[in-house]
Amino acid sequence: MKISGSNVVAHPVGEVWDALLDPRVLVATIPGCERLETTGPDEYAMTVTAGVAAIKGTYAGSCALSDLRKHESLVMRLSGAGAPGTIDAAVDVAFEDLGAEGTRISYEADATVGGMVGGVGQRILASVSKRMAAEFFGNVAGAIGQATPSAAPVSPGAPVEPVATARAVETSPGVFTAPAAPTSSAGVSQDFYRGVGVGAGLVLLGVVAGAVLGRRR
Amino acid sequence: MGQPVQRVEDQRFLRGLGRYVDDVDTGPGTLHAAVLRSPHAHARILDIDVEAVLDLDGVHAVYTHDDLTGPMAEPLPLLIPHPALTHGRTQHALAKDEVNYVGEAIAFVVADDRYVAEDAVARIVVTYDVLPPVVGLEAARAGERLVHDDVPGNLAARLEQEVGDARAAIAAAPHRLELDLTIERSACMPLEGRGTVARWEPDLDRLQLWTSTQTSTGVRAAVAVKLGLDLGQVDVITPDVGGGFGVKVVHPWPEELLVPYAARALGRPVKFTEDRREHFISSAHERGQVQHVEVGFDDDGRVLGLDVEFWHDNGAYTPYGLIVPIITSTQLLGPYKPGAYRVVFESLYTNTVIVTPYRGAGRPQGCYAMERTMDAVAAYLGKDRTEVRAANFIQPDEFPYDHGLVFQDGRELEYDSGDYPASLEKLKELVGWDDFPAYQREMAAQGRRVGIGLACYVEGTGVGPYEGAHVHVETSGKVKVATGLTTQGQGHATVFAQLVADELGVRFEDVEVVTGDTRRMPYAVGTYASRAAVMSGSAVHLAARRAKEKALRIAADALEADPADLQIVDGVVSVKGAPDSAIDLGTVSVLSNPLRYAFDEASKAATQFSVGDNSLPPVPEDEEPGLEGKDFYSPPRATFASGMHAVIVETDPETAEVTILKYAVVHDCGHLINPMIVEGQIHGGVAQGIGGALYERMAYDESGQLLNASFMDFLMPYVTEIPDGIDIDHLETPSPLNPLGIKGAGEAGVIPSAAVFAAAIEDAEGLAIRAMPISPSDLHTLRLSQEHPR
Repeated sequence: MKISGSNVVAHPVGEVWDALLDPRVLVATIPGCERLETTGPDEYAMTVTAGVAAIKGTYAGSCALSDLRKHESLVMRLSGAGAPGTIDAAVDVAFEDLGAEGTRISYEADATVGGMVGGVGQRILASVSKRMAAEFFGNVAGAIGQATPSAAPVSPGAPVEPVATARAVETSPGVFTAPAAPTSSAGVSQDFYRGVGVGAGLVLLGVVAGAVLGRRR
Repeated sequence: MGQPVQRVEDQRFLRGLGRYVDDVDTGPGTLHAAVLRSPHAHARILDIDVEAVLDLDGVHAVYTHDDLTGPMAEPLPLLIPHPALTHGRTQHALAKDEVNYVGEAIAFVVADDRYVAEDAVARIVVTYDVLPPVVGLEAARAGERLVHDDVPGNLAARLEQEVGDARAAIAAAPHRLELDLTIERSACMPLEGRGTVARWEPDLDRLQLWTSTQTSTGVRAAVAVKLGLDLGQVDVITPDVGGGFGVKVVHPWPEELLVPYAARALGRPVKFTEDRREHFISSAHERGQVQHVEVGFDDDGRVLGLDVEFWHDNGAYTPYGLIVPIITSTQLLGPYKPGAYRVVFESLYTNTVIVTPYRGAGRPQGCYAMERTMDAVAAYLGKDRTEVRAANFIQPDEFPYDHGLVFQDGRELEYDSGDYPASLEKLKELVGWDDFPAYQREMAAQGRRVGIGLACYVEGTGVGPYEGAHVHVETSGKVKVATGLTTQGQGHATVFAQLVADELGVRFEDVEVVTGDTRRMPYAVGTYASRAAVMSGSAVHLAARRAKEKALRIAADALEADPADLQIVDGVVSVKGAPDSAIDLGTVSVLSNPLRYAFDEASKAATQFSVGDNSLPPVPEDEEPGLEGKDFYSPPRATFASGMHAVIVETDPETAEVTILKYAVVHDCGHLINPMIVEGQIHGGVAQGIGGALYERMAYDESGQLLNASFMDFLMPYVTEIPDGIDIDHLETPSPLNPLGIKGAGEAGVIPSAAVFAAAIEDAEGLAIRAMPISPSDLHTLRLSQEHPR
């Protein structure tokens, strides 16, 4: 399945890039993301819970970044597996500086969605994941607007200050857990999307995590 | 025979009293199974970690391939070997090292209930090395990626048959055409999926197995071999089956082995009931082919040479051999006699669900290729499509007609009887063929697009090897009939009772029929190839005759009459012309079994001081006690039914939606046992065919994921998509091969669907239709491609 799209975030490319590479932001803004762990340079393990009606469950996943071109583009490979299904995705993400308007983030994902989600939920995945992507970028913009992250380099084991609004918690070095309540900017719609998102959550992860999970070289 | 007797089954079915496998109650100790299935189309299994399942409350066992021993660890049987199937492959009951389609069984969990079993399945962690999959015939033919490492070119089989020199005949013909055709996958989709229940009886040292199958004796033999049991230790019982349509003739399914395997090991009954998604991804599909036709013909449209190549997608494994493509390659000929014919097919592996017979079993594809060709020839010559067909028909005085090919049963493709010109005349009349052009012009003047199409087929039905039947007249006069093949809704309990009532001379209500129970009839083959009426019907008829002959012998003795002077009417044997000299069939049954002990008033008559000639043994030589008849029917070859369908469609100029205005069927299955049931079979077949032609497809993506694995996305027709009336006319050309002169009727209705709709839509739109099924969006795209050719 191919998913592509773009969203404009009303912040300068530098801020957006930094925010999207900050795991504290990510764990708080990715719908359904419960836990994020740095497992090595440009590599993360994460846990996401998502579901559509009966097809819900927790996915254990990982992603690896490559081809990081600061403020321009990166490539992310993501895989996840859980009872509802599996996902493998390669995502090309591009950042475009729009000056006063902010930053356009474009993504092209080539995702293989397998298992139960693949057969039953696939029809809605592309459209739902696009809407979730838009919601996610809205969350990120909100996070930047309310408390711009320090943009300090994060390395495994290094302590990180949580983002104020999202209140992500670093429970142990390099491990980030989501706040107990959904982020405020998502409101009701986040629950809705989480409900219908199924694997879309994971596809979205392929899309957005590629854009946002990361560390500086 | 010949009466539209109401189906005795329907009271139960319509009132919800049918008993299917999932209804079999083996008690509160019954355990339930769930299966872990591959989420990948092609992958190596590096590790299966079941640790998290082992201490789960309510889980009794978890099996992976490593836990299977002996024959259970070997690949599943290749049911129908063929010399051309040089690279046949079958899966294991549980995947060994590699998975080759999404849905392939990897682990089997047995738990207190299905909920726990499914939760446990979710906890099994499998590590895969995901391999690039082969999806679609194009990828399979390219052979760059392989489904099985040891099968070069993904080629399971290549088979060629030729009569005459087709290529030379085409080269020498006045006119030539080539067609490239495709037809996509669909599936049987019975409302009841697969299901199996097993109980090991330690006291009796035997296994009882209930399974939703089209061949209980086939399952019995396979289970016995795989579990290391004697055949006599295994009983297989087929309860009501909620539809088969071919998919349930495949056996043994992994679960049909794993359920009894676990039941014996655990000492508890075990049940597995397939869910809908499992049916989509782990049962079987059919139909997918790509075809290339070359035809040479004369000015009248007479086919002088026909050269067909086609590529058949057999999915990941070939448990059912080459039956489907062999049927396509032979039944493609339909009612026609080309001057020379060559057909070559390649059966190719892909990383998708297996392909095995689905109602029609390769014939819809063959009919589609042939009828598209006939229409193309007619269009080329500017002739009426019925004229071109008529010019190619085998004539009534040419039967038996031997095509010189080998059919699916290994016997010669020799048509036994038929009258195709008469069928065509009936069809033209029924659908109003000759009046249609005027109607079409009239509609066109109103801005409406209508089109008409027809398609003809011949169907080899009632293939061997044999079926048998047992008829037992109880001392009450009731008649118990057993035949070994199974029933999936065809009305066997009605038609076989009709045959017994006719032959034996008893009341229809007094006959009770049992099918698919190996305890009652251990020798049987199965229900497929439209063979139940022909095979078991003939066997039932012959068995009833034997019972009747015996009844007359005994009654003749009792009535002191000549057997030739006796008749049996409504269960009473009497001397013709002397109605007072009569004896009930129940009493004859009593007399047939000489007794020492009386157990009721009736049986006193058979005890040793009441009956018999003291100079003779109580049971005469060459007789057996009991009023029974048993016989088998084994024909030399198939009997060939035929039919022709026509449809008038309207296509919406804006939405490209296809609406059926009229559907007409002329059907010839020889003598009709029950016209109502035959018409019901045609109705059902037409409905299923409409689904296949206009709605259904298996939407695999390039990674081998089936994207429409639910009834949300896989479009089965509702009653709203089926025309209100289907006009049916019968022709009865009896078969000379069986005592009843009958031919099969079960699959017929679905065979010409793709062909007839392609023809009608082509006629309405003026566009060449070369790919089926066709959805509104396909038709819309086709229109655009014609308006804006690239």
